[in-house]
Amino acid sequence: MPHRTRFRPLLFSLSFIFLVSLSLRSEQDLHRVWAVKDARIITLAGPPIEKGNLVIRDGLIEAVGASIPIPKDAEVIDGAKLTVYPGLMDGLGQSLLKLPEEKTDMTRIYSGEFTDKDRGITPGLAAFDHVNLGKAAFEKYHKLGFVAGHVMPDRGVFTGRSALFSFSDPDKNKALLLKDVCLGIGFSPSNFLVYPNSLMGVHAYLKQALNDAVYFDQATSRWLKEMKGLTRPDHSPNLEALAGYATAAKPVIFLCRNQNDIRRSLSLAAELKLDYFIADLGGESFEVIPELKKAKTRVLCTVAFKAPGSSLYAQQGKAEKERAEKEIYPKNPARLAEAGIPFAFSSLGTDDPKAFAEGIQKAIDAGLPKEKALEALTKTPAAFFGLDRALGTIEPGKIANLVLVEGELLAKETKVRFAFADGGRFELKEAKPGEGEKPTVNLTGKWEMTIEGGMAMKLTVDFAQEEAALSGKMTTPFGMFEFTGGSVSGKDFSFEMNVSVGGQDIDLFFSGSVEGDRMTGSVVQGGAGTAEFTARRIPG
Amino acid sequence: MKPRIAAIGICAALLVLSLCGGLTAAEKAVLLKNGQVITVSGGPIPGGDILVQGTKIVKVGKGLSAPPGAEVIDLGGRWVMPGIIDSHSHIALEGDVNETGALLTPEVDCKDVINPQDINIFYALTGGVTAVHTMHGSANPIGGKGISLKMRWGKGPEELVFAGAPLTSKWALGENPKRSNMSGMGPSRYPRTRMGVEESIRDEFEKAREYMKKWAEYEKTAKAARDSKGKVPTPLPPKKDYRLEGITDILNGKLWVRCHGYQSEEMLSIMRLCKEYGVKLVCFEHGLESYRITNELVEYGVAVSTFADFWGYKWEAYNTMPQAAALCAKRGVLVALSSDDAERMRHLFNDAAKTVRFGGVTEDAAVRMLTINPAKIMGVDRWVGTIEPGKDADLAVFNRHPLDPFTVCEMTMVDGKVYFDRAKYLEERKKAEEEEKKKEPEKKDGGEV
Repeated sequence: MPHRTRFRPLLFSLSFIFLVSLSLRSEQDLHRVWAVKDARIITLAGPPIEKGNLVIRDGLIEAVGASIPIPKDAEVIDGAKLTVYPGLMDGLGQSLLKLPEEKTDMTRIYSGEFTDKDRGITPGLAAFDHVNLGKAAFEKYHKLGFVAGHVMPDRGVFTGRSALFSFSDPDKNKALLLKDVCLGIGFSPSNFLVYPNSLMGVHAYLKQALNDAVYFDQATSRWLKEMKGLTRPDHSPNLEALAGYATAAKPVIFLCRNQNDIRRSLSLAAELKLDYFIADLGGESFEVIPELKKAKTRVLCTVAFKAPGSSLYAQQGKAEKERAEKEIYPKNPARLAEAGIPFAFSSLGTDDPKAFAEGIQKAIDAGLPKEKALEALTKTPAAFFGLDRALGTIEPGKIANLVLVEGELLAKETKVRFAFADGGRFELKEAKPGEGEKPTVNLTGKWEMTIEGGMAMKLTVDFAQEEAALSGKMTTPFGMFEFTGGSVSGKDFSFEMNVSVGGQDIDLFFSGSVEGDRMTGSVVQGGAGTAEFTARRIPG
Repeated sequence: MKPRIAAIGICAALLVLSLCGGLTAAEKAVLLKNGQVITVSGGPIPGGDILVQGTKIVKVGKGLSAPPGAEVIDLGGRWVMPGIIDSHSHIALEGDVNETGALLTPEVDCKDVINPQDINIFYALTGGVTAVHTMHGSANPIGGKGISLKMRWGKGPEELVFAGAPLTSKWALGENPKRSNMSGMGPSRYPRTRMGVEESIRDEFEKAREYMKKWAEYEKTAKAARDSKGKVPTPLPPKKDYRLEGITDILNGKLWVRCHGYQSEEMLSIMRLCKEYGVKLVCFEHGLESYRITNELVEYGVAVSTFADFWGYKWEAYNTMPQAAALCAKRGVLVALSSDDAERMRHLFNDAAKTVRFGGVTEDAAVRMLTINPAKIMGVDRWVGTIEPGKDADLAVFNRHPLDPFTVCEMTMVDGKVYFDRAKYLEERKKAEEEEKKKEPEKKDGGEV
């Protein structure tokens, strides 16, 4: 009998997973034909259709127009009060990734046994292998109109390879649009004794490594062609992973923390003849508009609007930094649009879809025309990644990635009623305004927190929770810092904190959930990436 | 509020300056009248004038008349000297100035990480500094490449670069490359002795010679292949190695070597090594024990970029005295006073005064240590370092003699353009403060409603 007891829980959980996936898939599988009737349709392929019909069949848009007949086999959605938009796409993000836990073992590194991963050199790391799709994540995005996203690891020097997904199916094999699209290049060196560990070292390393990859590619193909009389080159997984990007067959994405990184990326790309995108994490591309224009650069524009530490504003104290973050940085997208620089929005630096959407709204408030914002979330990213024949506008034959909204999509209070991803329908319930989920936990008290990974450290947090409002004090090796304005919803919590370390202001965003006397979550540090944390309540 | 006001002041000053810059035609003339001109190239000219045309000094003398349309700046008897040149600096660089992840890193280049937003560029101007040589740190026997910059505050990274200045290679001897004072900062790294530091350099020289040989052989076979018109297969070139190409540039004299060192015996030893390989060793950085080996320094033509009275901060930095710079200068060594520090940079003129006070050098010799001497070390003496016709109009104006302990730098000009004007800056700042004050009660009223 021991067998059975051992297998029962496993069998149970397997069947549970099966049931869950069945329930998520069923709606899409049963109804492959949908028709939206009498809706306002923003096709982006032409002028808006004020009152029209749209037919979806087998994942694709079958027909769209003012007087399209409704097929008999279609389930009809009354669109009289609705506007249909092409589904939004996150031009570059990392929040859907669940990378293997990184524990930096300093004893190992001190003994000289470091790996390429310790050095931030992971060109083989593929977003496809580590993406974490699921109903909960999809819902967060669908609610705000996002039905596709570009995902890429963003830590280190060669950060890894990206992938594009439709937010349609928890099975990544079904949700995948494109795999290994771009290679990330970051300028955050490791902070211990491995090469490269300085920004200047990173630049030297990049030149050597990309040059080596081109050489590897040439030597390998030449050997494969001739063989006789030639010495066979050594194999290298890293160089093999880099080769396609180093030879400009595929684009790289430079993860730029400030305007200097952008300038440097432009000259690196020119010197090494790379195909590239600039991911503007620092929000300073407005400072280099002439250079971007001259190089015909495509930009992935973030919306966190935090002045980087290198900026003149940050160097002059907190007040000046905050003023710039309010008055100058949110204008960045508007300025790019005005200058005619092609850009798509990226969620990097914003911790969740909600903050991303709020950031986009800030850009609109700061002068970005709404239609430009919409393009930066639809047509432009689709074209950037070679998907403009499949996504970005509402046209027959394209993938049925759509959102049905009451009122405007890019509004302060977006009311998305339905999202279609790969022709599958997701209905979104109306949240009662102003009411988040009631807290089911109380964090009040002292907690011992352990942050993992690159910024590993132990902290003590003294939380004070009053209903959904969260504040507290955090004792760190760098001193004590206070925070207010956090919130608790259900068993989830989040708060933002500004710490000053060695004269540098760093913004940290904590989010997690509580399970009894334990909490787990993640902390996002601007462009420096994400780390996981755990905490336990200190009794008494 | 203070930083905000300072910020407004700086921004306003930038705006005023950029407007002036906008009006400046390429050849706009400026006449600086009635100053105590410290020319450095000749004697001082009391009540002298300097005529600037575009970016250059065109005339220096007494009673010069302003050409039509020229801007006239009355110095009112104030002192004007060539802009101060700081030949050992680490400002305007982003990120760590040391790449400690490898022992020898000549492939690393400060040019890649110029940070034009570093506020220390502005602070340099407030101390009369118009050019710096900014470089890699001293963690490696051979570190990264350094670069000379002009303090053109507000300009982009490319425009800061001092055009024509030779690129340099930073070397370091002694405790820093041995990581003597870095216990607990990671695994111990070869070398741990001064002998080892030198040997690591020699090893790399040999590797680079092999590398050069490989390329020479390749060129030969490639030529043979070309000449054979397809009969001989084209060879695959050797793989480009940025590190060894850096060393090759050192061996070919393309990079000027700036070597950090304190102890006389290792300075002697490295001079012998450089002689053996034909390396262009230009200058010892800090070189606190240089006064012990002045004959050898003069014979080999190596300069010293040092401090006036800064020592004792580590074991190898004890054997010196405030007379050291003066002793070297008197024995014919080319001496520059440099800062190695963004704060000291702002009052290098005080350091020069100390060599007069303690070492008894002439005032002229002391001023040279801030101007033409560092210009020679940086290979830019054709353009800067003295006030004479044909040179760049890089000037610093002081309210008293620059060696007076109470002197204040009042105006700094780079390429004929005023980048810092203390009176204007303070005026703008005052205005900003007043406006801020005006705003505050309004805010209060607003808040109470």
